[in-house]
Amino acid sequence: MSAPGWAARLPLARRRAERRRRRGFDQPRFLRAFFLLFVLWTFAPLLVVALFSFNSTPSLQNFEGFSLQWYDEFFSSVTLRESLVASIEIGFVTMIVGTVLGTTLAFALVRARSRIAQASNVLMLVPLVTPEIVAGVSALVLFTQIGMDLSLLTIMIAEITFSISFVTVIVRARLATMNREVEEAALDLGATRMQTVRLVVLPALWPAIIASALLIFALSFDDFVIAFFTTGESPTPLPVQIYSSIRFGVRPTINAIGTLMLVISFLIVALAVALPRLLGRRGEQNVLIGGEAP
Amino acid sequence: MTADHTTTDPSIQATGGSDGAGSEAIRFEGVTKRFGATVAVDDLNLTIRRGEFFSLLGPSGCGKTTTLRMVAGFEQPTEGSVYLEGEPVDEVPPYSRNVNTVFQSYALFEHLDVERNVAFGLKRRKVPGDEIRSRVADALELVQLTGRERAKPRQLSGGQMQRVALARALVNRPAVLLLDEPLGALDLKLRKQMQVELKEIQREVGITFLYVTHDQEEALAMSDRIAVMDEGAVQQFGPPEEIYESPQKPFVAGFIGVSNLLPATVEGAAVRLKTGQLFTPPLPEGCEEGASVFCSVRPEKIFLDDLEDGMVSVEGEIVERIYLGTTTQVIVQLAPDVRVVALEQNTARSRADDRWEIGMRVRLGWHPEHALVLR
Repeated sequence: MSAPGWAARLPLARRRAERRRRRGFDQPRFLRAFFLLFVLWTFAPLLVVALFSFNSTPSLQNFEGFSLQWYDEFFSSVTLRESLVASIEIGFVTMIVGTVLGTTLAFALVRARSRIAQASNVLMLVPLVTPEIVAGVSALVLFTQIGMDLSLLTIMIAEITFSISFVTVIVRARLATMNREVEEAALDLGATRMQTVRLVVLPALWPAIIASALLIFALSFDDFVIAFFTTGESPTPLPVQIYSSIRFGVRPTINAIGTLMLVISFLIVALAVALPRLLGRRGEQNVLIGGEAP
Repeated sequence: MTADHTTTDPSIQATGGSDGAGSEAIRFEGVTKRFGATVAVDDLNLTIRRGEFFSLLGPSGCGKTTTLRMVAGFEQPTEGSVYLEGEPVDEVPPYSRNVNTVFQSYALFEHLDVERNVAFGLKRRKVPGDEIRSRVADALELVQLTGRERAKPRQLSGGQMQRVALARALVNRPAVLLLDEPLGALDLKLRKQMQVELKEIQREVGITFLYVTHDQEEALAMSDRIAVMDEGAVQQFGPPEEIYESPQKPFVAGFIGVSNLLPATVEGAAVRLKTGQLFTPPLPEGCEEGASVFCSVRPEKIFLDDLEDGMVSVEGEIVERIYLGTTTQVIVQLAPDVRVVALEQNTARSRADDRWEIGMRVRLGWHPEHALVLR
């Protein structure tokens, strides 16, 4: 039956009430408006940066034509190129070392039934809530105290320290939902302990491990605060390099760099969301974006 | 409700009194398991014969699952030894024991499909690929899952997951199959159906089943022999009909089926109920004059009003009447703290819920030989 057919038979007041009710619950237009506002608010500045990175003049106000000159300028600068490579190196090393350490720690925290593990569960949250500036300064103080020269290595150590908690929190959540009987079943069916980890535990944890690995890559790749305090002379990570260069005036190259970093970060996060699915675990709960329940 | 008569069952007949090493599947010798100060299993001595369907029955926390886990190798006995086919297995890790377990939670590998789940154990044992394929196919056929090889566990129903878990364990042809409340998560109808199937499968494959359950009906229906456990110790063990008909302890009588436990004292060769009646049930050995005992009478052995000659007769008031379909449960108060449950059949001729009203005074009785004296 069509809606106007039965609606016409209702008294006017009830029809109005009915329309209001249906609009409120079935077609929440205000939610849509909110969402559009949110998208605009979030992406408009990014789009402006991306757009002006292709501007043919140095103007940051008027777009006067398409060109790749700022990208050209970026790639022809040895310093900037080295900085980009340095940032990618930091991201990769942090990702690999942080993921291995964080996952191992998650195992220890879930499996050890000691009081220390209980306390550690709370301690794990400390790096997550510590202001980054405190983390940066304390890392700097430590490195100078022990007489370690500041370099890419010191940045990596500081970033890894900061990243472990992210991995541990994400992997631990997945591990805690795993049924112990599944591991016992593997042992029962003739798998040694190592085989059980390789064949049963890790496959169940991969989505969480991959998601947290890519997350800490994205975090450490474009981190400024910790990098600023722990960086050496050269090469400096890209965010720090940008900061020091804008002290001598803003050049449109910044837009090109910003756009490149944005693309790299987005690709990494997209990979974090897509990889678990590509690995054939459809319906697996996605750790990063919540995702649909199985 | 009860299984075949004992003497017709070859697995029991064959091994009679003498237990040679060749006929025993599992033997517990003085096995004690403590967790800190808690004693989970207390000096367990038990032999399970090859090829039998053996149940460990008891309430939760009675130590039955711990006992099972010691056979699987997930727990180590604090004292004593577990023997598998005559060999002590205390030093053998779970992955080297010739036993397999069906877990209550199924514990399937979520990331593997049905076929790979079932093939898991054979692959670990480096069985050749052709043989794996044919054995997996046979196992899936046995549990009626042919055609679901490619399904992932989460696409299956509870009953199907249970079948996969069963196939995954059976395909390895273990000396003993350990089942830890495998039907606990299924609904009643499916549980009844799986009981029959499990029993048929066990008969077909001839593997020793060690079955842990708290469901007395399930244990009675499926087992060749049952060990009733409580507080870490075996209270009684034997074939189902013996456990049901002749419980030797008040706990067993109360746990298996519904039982009326009437307090009484021994007077010569007879007992006197707390409500005053004197009668002569079969008295066990060594009952001392004046000793406090319980008389256990099954509800279906109690008559209401139409008593027969030679019956013990007591009087009471009906306090509750529960209609159960084929039967009606009538609860009669004999004395302030003595209640008796009687089961009345609802036949075509008479329906118990028409005849009995709450508040009515009735005479009830039973034949003296149907009363078991328990100390």
